[in-house]
Amino acid sequence: MPEPIRIGNCSGFYGDRISAMREMLEGGPLDVLTGDYLAELTMLILGKDTMRDASLGYAKTFLAQAKDCLGLALEKGVKLVSNAGGLNPKGLAEALDALGTGAKIAYVDGDDLRERIGDIAPELSGALTANAYLGGFGIARALAHGADVVVTGRVTDAAVVMGPAIWWHDWSPTDYDALAGSVIAGHVIECGTQATGGNFAGLFDAIDAGLVDDPVQPFGFPIAEIAADGTVVITKHAGTGGLVSVDTVTAQLFYEIQGASYLNPDVTTDLTSISLRQLDKDRVEIAGTRGSEPPAQLKVAANQLGGWRNQVEFVLTGLDLQRKSDLLRAQVEAALPAGLERSWSTWRAPAPDSPTEEGAAVLQRLVVWSQDPDEVGKAFTGPAIELVLASYAGFHVTAPPGKPSAYGVYTPTYVDRDQVTHTVHHHDGTTEVIA
Amino acid sequence: MSVSTLRPLGDLVYARSGDKGGNANIGLWVPAGRSDAAVDWLLQTLTAEWVRELLPETADLEIDLVPLPNLRGVNIVIHGILGAGVAEGVRFDPQAKALGEWIRSRHVAIPDRLMA
Repeated sequence: MPEPIRIGNCSGFYGDRISAMREMLEGGPLDVLTGDYLAELTMLILGKDTMRDASLGYAKTFLAQAKDCLGLALEKGVKLVSNAGGLNPKGLAEALDALGTGAKIAYVDGDDLRERIGDIAPELSGALTANAYLGGFGIARALAHGADVVVTGRVTDAAVVMGPAIWWHDWSPTDYDALAGSVIAGHVIECGTQATGGNFAGLFDAIDAGLVDDPVQPFGFPIAEIAADGTVVITKHAGTGGLVSVDTVTAQLFYEIQGASYLNPDVTTDLTSISLRQLDKDRVEIAGTRGSEPPAQLKVAANQLGGWRNQVEFVLTGLDLQRKSDLLRAQVEAALPAGLERSWSTWRAPAPDSPTEEGAAVLQRLVVWSQDPDEVGKAFTGPAIELVLASYAGFHVTAPPGKPSAYGVYTPTYVDRDQVTHTVHHHDGTTEVIA
Repeated sequence: MSVSTLRPLGDLVYARSGDKGGNANIGLWVPAGRSDAAVDWLLQTLTAEWVRELLPETADLEIDLVPLPNLRGVNIVIHGILGAGVAEGVRFDPQAKALGEWIRSRHVAIPDRLMA
């Protein structure tokens, strides 16, 4: 039975700490370094990129990190796996190849259903992006074929961790418990430092208990050691900031989950089966994870251009806040076109007699949206800003009038597996379709 | 007979919240250092009505509760709080990043014996 595979994460979103790839490679031993660069919203951003330039559509920060670190990764024998390919994994693979390091680069695609989404779900016809969530077996095949780097389109966040574990332990598609263990490992480390003290409700208790030496030291990115039976140890490189405790791992297990079953294309994971145990400082074991057959269909994430949005944030200060707000709203409502979609934020009066101006003030936000950018441009900000000298005492706003911004509408749907051709493009130019 | 004191829910439990499309979820759990009795109290006390009292914004929304006693807590799924379709992103905290910290700051009656 092989040793556990040691898989690191160096990115929880498109825009995460750029130095993390180097920190993870230099900080200690790893077998594979992974990163998640895609969120529901990121696909929309990449979709807009491809509208401007078809050669884009991947996460450029990953390429920048690879430019700095790919040589180092090769030297250390650490494989890189990420979903940074976004809408254009082939383009990212070519750009990585052009770095001239000699690394063997594979990519996984078949997730992109833009061309066919109208047939699959007529109501989503014309969507800017439509991607099926793929699992980890394509990544595993690319690594088994000898790749040093695997980049993918829309695989699940957990798949970039699961794929390397499948390869390392040579799991079969029905090794459900082991697969489920690796899904949980992936779920815990996919969001980077959210597993090591970031966005953690217990951070101050941990500091007070002496578990965090220096809270300002950058939190280390997480590592999952995955054993052949799917038992996992979550840890981080020695000497990095933050902490790994039962509670930091629990926090991430609760992140963005729905029911007690966690669905992935390769396995359904029973969240009630997991047990956690602190083994040592910054080492938490996840054991007992049970898996079962995956859902029959694959989930598809579609993004449509929704329209245009704009906002103004008014500051109400001091006395008579309710009357100030009522006057403002009446004035603005009278000046705006009747049909314009809008939403006023709620607020609550601060305590009276504040010794600071900030403490005496509340913000009242007005958001408007429309299919027509002109309706929420100057036609909206003009009437609002014209009130500067003509409304309640102390009128001001938090920012100068802004331009309308495009927003997307995310819609999940489902597709039969035989509609999706999960394809591995190996580093040697051969291709392989995953059943 | 147990004596309770009105105090922030966050004195006893941790939380993490996030988004999934127009839905938000909040995981509430009892930290590792606290008693199993606190877990029992949380799982028994937490109902959809209680969530609606603490977060009045959810009064008319569908709420699912998913107990995960092995993780010493419960997952709360609030349907549609982030707006569906075009209204998405209009809410003050559009991705529910701080929904968990808000609920932790609400004052509830917690049995004193659980705070020891």
